[in-house]
Amino acid sequence: MGYNILSKIIEFTDSEEPLEKRLENVGALLLNFFAFDQCAVYLLDREERKLNLAVAIGNKLGCQQEYNKDEGLPGLAMKHGKPIFATHSQPNKELWRGVFDQGALGFATVICCPVKDDIFYGILYLKSREKKSISPKKKKLLDVIALQLSTAIKNYECIINLTHTNTKMKDMQARLIHAEKLLALGEMAATLTHEIRNPLMSIGGFAKRLHQQLNPDSSQFMYANRIIKGVERLEKLMDGIVHFSKKDGCEFSTEDINNIIEDAALFFEDDFKRHNITVVRDVALNLPKIEADRQQLRLVFNNLMANAIQAMANGGTLTIQTRHKDNWIVTEVCDTGGGIDPKIMGNIFNPFYTTKETGTGLGLAITHTIITNHKGIIEVNNKMGVGVTFVIKLPVATICEQLAVNSEQLKK
Amino acid sequence: MSEKILVVDDEEGIRLLYKEELGDEGLDVHLAASGEEALAKLEKDRFDLIVLDIKMPGMDGIEVLRRIKERWKNLPVILSTAYHHYKQEFGTWASDAYVVKSSDLKELKTTIKDILNTGRK
Ligand SMILES: Nc1ncnc2c1ncn2[C@@H]1O[C@H](COP(=O)(O)OP(=O)(O)O)[C@@H](O)[C@H]1O
Ligand SMILES: [Mg+2]
Repeated sequence: MGYNILSKIIEFTDSEEPLEKRLENVGALLLNFFAFDQCAVYLLDREERKLNLAVAIGNKLGCQQEYNKDEGLPGLAMKHGKPIFATHSQPNKELWRGVFDQGALGFATVICCPVKDDIFYGILYLKSREKKSISPKKKKLLDVIALQLSTAIKNYECIINLTHTNTKMKDMQARLIHAEKLLALGEMAATLTHEIRNPLMSIGGFAKRLHQQLNPDSSQFMYANRIIKGVERLEKLMDGIVHFSKKDGCEFSTEDINNIIEDAALFFEDDFKRHNITVVRDVALNLPKIEADRQQLRLVFNNLMANAIQAMANGGTLTIQTRHKDNWIVTEVCDTGGGIDPKIMGNIFNPFYTTKETGTGLGLAITHTIITNHKGIIEVNNKMGVGVTFVIKLPVATICEQLAVNSEQLKK
Repeated sequence: MSEKILVVDDEEGIRLLYKEELGDEGLDVHLAASGEEALAKLEKDRFDLIVLDIKMPGMDGIEVLRRIKERWKNLPVILSTAYHHYKQEFGTWASDAYVVKSSDLKELKTTIKDILNTGRK
């Protein structure tokens, strides 16, 4: 009989089925074998603070959903690491072995058996409404079964951990590939800008000479002017792109944020007009200066404004606000372009994440990196259906210097 | 007497542009299409200033700069290139100024004037 149930238990615990199903099978078998009314398995949670009901078989009446790790008979069994076999002559009493256990209320005989090897996994809890005596042989058998269960749970946890590690590794690999792509893109950008800048210089330079020599009333004068403007635009773009490839440190100087923003806004003047976008400036004058790499911050506002324009292709309002709060210079770039779908919010700062057909997905990734390099913070306030506000906080110059000093000291 | 400057750049269009634009500023502009040609010209002639491109096939601008500074220690050199980031790497090293190539030659012109003026003092 004993060997019979053991081989069944082994068959059940080693099966390919989900853990819960296996526990259920074992529980049902035990219930039958001991002729008890209820069998429950509790598993210790990750924080090791609670025992949670994993499966319950039989009459589930009075089966508690969870126990604190020092609560009731399961808590006691866990503490001592030994099975508790208890019989109560007054089934209406709730006190068992000196502990209060509501789950045992109304039962005459209970078995509370820890499932463990070197590690504690949980509790196997058997209850009977009728008084039962349990032979030493059966007690021994229960020990073996509990050990067998612990092996099953351990294996299961191993698999879960493996899957988890595997997912993490895949994630890391994906990040590495992203970083590599970014680097490759940077190198490509550097080569490209060189190849483009030289011919651009000739085109623009000679167009300027033509422009000077032509009669301002002639149509040629206007044509030359168009070429000059186009070249200027491309050269500005090259200025921006070249910063993708900038690998090492920034070139910090003391800057006025309003001034940088104004530069960026000027760059998009034509686009604002073309897309019917009203630009509202709500800037605080005489703001304290910040320690910043001007070119890089230009790129930040370029990216934010480009996104805003793309979101408001059919018109809208771009509000730019700057203010001084505590030791931060706070800048808000607010559009009325309909906002970002909350579902994709978690992705927008990831390199190469884009919802645009011709997007690069680099804008916000680079923006984030630059702001972090400036010891600043970037936040998004999204109003779905209305628009997005990007909030950038940069430390005022004095603290920034202080931070630099601190980090120097830390290095020592 | 106008100052004699040597422009070194591998692109013909850019050499021509420099010649015309800087010529208009009253400078005596001479041209070289490579580092080797530039060094050969320097051996034969005396110049007041060099405008030197960094990225050229053959001997690159950095190598040319090194050789110039070895032989003609006091000859001012302006590095001119499409890369911003050379500015950090080489800008403060050995050359007298660094200008990013642009169709707008204003920056280059003022830099040239500044250097020539200081030299005259
Ligand atoms: N102002 C904005 N309004 C709506 N969506 C935005 C805004 N800014 C960014 N996004 C979303 O974030 C994504 C990533 O932006 P970004 O990194 O700049 O890359 P790209 O603009 O090339 O798509 C965009 O594709 C878009 O879905
Ligand atoms: Mg973008």
